[in-house]
Amino acid sequence: MSLAVSAFGFGLVTAAVLAIASVGFTLQFGVTDVLNLAFGAVMIFGAFVAYLVNVQGISVWIGMLAAMAAGAVLSVLLNAGVYAPFQRRRASPITMVIVSLGLTLIIEFGVQALAGGVAVSYNVNQGRTFDAGGLLLNAVELVIMALAVVVMLATHALLRYTRLGKAMRATAANRALARNCGIRASRVITITWAVTGAMAGMAGTVLAIDLGSFDATSTDLFLIMILAAVFLGGPGQPYGAMLGAVIIGISTEVSAAFIPADYKYVIAFLVLLIMLGVRPSGLLGERT
Amino acid sequence: MKSFTLGPAAAAAGARRPMGGRPVRLAAAAVAATASLVLAACGSSGGGSGSSPSPSTSASSGALTVADVAPFSGPDAALGPTYLASCYGATSVINAHGGVDGHSLNCKSVDTRGDPADAVPAVNQLYASTPNLALVIGCTSDEAASVVPIINAHKTAMFCMTGQSEFDHVHFPYFYRLVPPDLEEAYALVAIAQKLGYKRIALAFGNDIGSQAFVGPAIAALKKAGITMTTNQTLDESANTFRTEAEAIVSSHPQAVMTEALGTADPTLLSEIKQLNGGKMIPVIGTSALISPAFFKAAAAAVGAPTLAANFHADNLVTETSGPAYNAFKSALLSQQGKVPGVTGNFTTYLSAPGGVHLYDGINLAALAMLMSKSTTPSVYAPDIIKIGDGVPGATVCPSFVACAALLKQGKAIRYEGPGGPTSFDAYHDSTGLFQIDTYSASGAVNVVGNITTAQLRALSG
Repeated sequence: MSLAVSAFGFGLVTAAVLAIASVGFTLQFGVTDVLNLAFGAVMIFGAFVAYLVNVQGISVWIGMLAAMAAGAVLSVLLNAGVYAPFQRRRASPITMVIVSLGLTLIIEFGVQALAGGVAVSYNVNQGRTFDAGGLLLNAVELVIMALAVVVMLATHALLRYTRLGKAMRATAANRALARNCGIRASRVITITWAVTGAMAGMAGTVLAIDLGSFDATSTDLFLIMILAAVFLGGPGQPYGAMLGAVIIGISTEVSAAFIPADYKYVIAFLVLLIMLGVRPSGLLGERT
Repeated sequence: MKSFTLGPAAAAAGARRPMGGRPVRLAAAAVAATASLVLAACGSSGGGSGSSPSPSTSASSGALTVADVAPFSGPDAALGPTYLASCYGATSVINAHGGVDGHSLNCKSVDTRGDPADAVPAVNQLYASTPNLALVIGCTSDEAASVVPIINAHKTAMFCMTGQSEFDHVHFPYFYRLVPPDLEEAYALVAIAQKLGYKRIALAFGNDIGSQAFVGPAIAALKKAGITMTTNQTLDESANTFRTEAEAIVSSHPQAVMTEALGTADPTLLSEIKQLNGGKMIPVIGTSALISPAFFKAAAAAVGAPTLAANFHADNLVTETSGPAYNAFKSALLSQQGKVPGVTGNFTTYLSAPGGVHLYDGINLAALAMLMSKSTTPSVYAPDIIKIGDGVPGATVCPSFVACAALLKQGKAIRYEGPGGPTSFDAYHDSTGLFQIDTYSASGAVNVVGNITTAQLRALSG
């Protein structure tokens, strides 16, 4: 039982990292209408940017800011150089998915070519481990969870209380109508790429901190978990993504306490399949 | 909080997008299809694919190719460069001394991604693009089962670094192996536990074919040795964290963890074990695959080099660390420092990487066989590999390609004994070595701290 309690705590940490990435992904998808499978590659790109900063003896948390900037710039460039031109030519959704898949491989292989195939680690003090009723969490994990809460609250504030957030929602709902209402949709979309790219950079860095050791391929499976969280919550639903992240994160870790650990992702995705079978639009998606 | 719906979410419920877009269900279907594609394409690797010619020796019309068919990306990405370093070392010496019958040797990397499914097209592409292929090295446990039959069908001689037991009693005429079966290495791991006096051991092996091959024999040998297995954790090497597995290990209170999980898996696991064990590392007994610069660099970064050095033992094949054979190997390898693509970390660690040592021997054996038979056709020279390795009555022992080639020129029978020690091929072309116990120093240098006798292994077998 104590292992299950510990696993629940570990699941919360996984959920925290997953939530930052999933909310960024779903926000990007919702506003830009691009299912950007290169999101994971942008994450690992950001993680390596933070690594480059960290190996200079600078705090990884400063490195995370550099990763956010790098993720934002890379995402804006991806949109301007690749996605937007394809969209202008009215490429089909499956074409866009394949394009994003190609970008994933280009970015990952590029990072691997530069960084080598060797796993690396940040120089970061994990701090002491706290034991709260069987929940074993170290200081860095608590920081990551706090960071996730801040990102979630900031996302809520952005969407609900700011002009930009309202413009993003309007653009997501109906781009043409938003344009007719005076919203500069293309500018909103560019800003969305920048904001969600920064979230990818942050997610990549906290994931790499959490992993302890990472390489250019470390987000491969994580991207699938992001997709699972997003579709479990309902695509385009930031709060759904948060909920999906918590369910996927916790079910993954807790199941490992009861079954052979290499099946833990099977359990997580079974949960996804069952939920989607019952509610195809996702937990917070709208019913037809 | 109020739930906001961004554009495509509405369509996710089946509605069409207001702008006449397509149902997001299509996107969802695309996700399902491409997610599996992402996993297939990146899950086990994500690294570069295909092959690239070695830049160290420019191909000429008479040049022959030695192909390093091994993982260069994915969890086992450290293996390919290790073998490539030896290939560069061996072929540089061979080329500097006239090559084989006037042919120089090139090294070519073929990335299998550590996946049997990826390995087959990679090898097929190798044959399509390399008419001058003379020898294959590498073929680790990750891909051997799928590529050995192909290479054998093409009648190409190969030296494989696979311990898979299926090759113990299946005859592939062009297959040669200088490493023992995995089950013997599993016994070696347990023998180390015995030597160190451990009574409680946790197992944590990766879910790849090569790593899982150790689990069954290790469990049986632990039982035979009277050692309690506290838990057996299988690590999904594509996973991101292993906290629950680490906690299961820590809470089972083992005295040591027996492991092989390559890529980021073991460094991550060890880091998490240390965190969950109050900052104290649980001693580790690793396989020979964990004696590599890549593993040391990653694991030392994850748990700290002094901590790793103080808590790590691994089995390793016995290789020479002094004498003329070792000196020739060392000189050849170090001459290529900085020249081998994809090689990072402490280059000197390759001097004690068993795979690298034995494949250096394999290349020398093949090259000498080509000289002896005066042919570069594998069906002609391959039988001479055994004659040179095992020697014939009256053969002169020689420690390097240069020394052996000189003796061959004099018309003498030779027995090559390289840094991997003497060979003794059986009917299946297997020549199994002896094991030693290695540790790391805090700088990453490998130290030999003991040996495992054949009697100790026999006591744990069966």
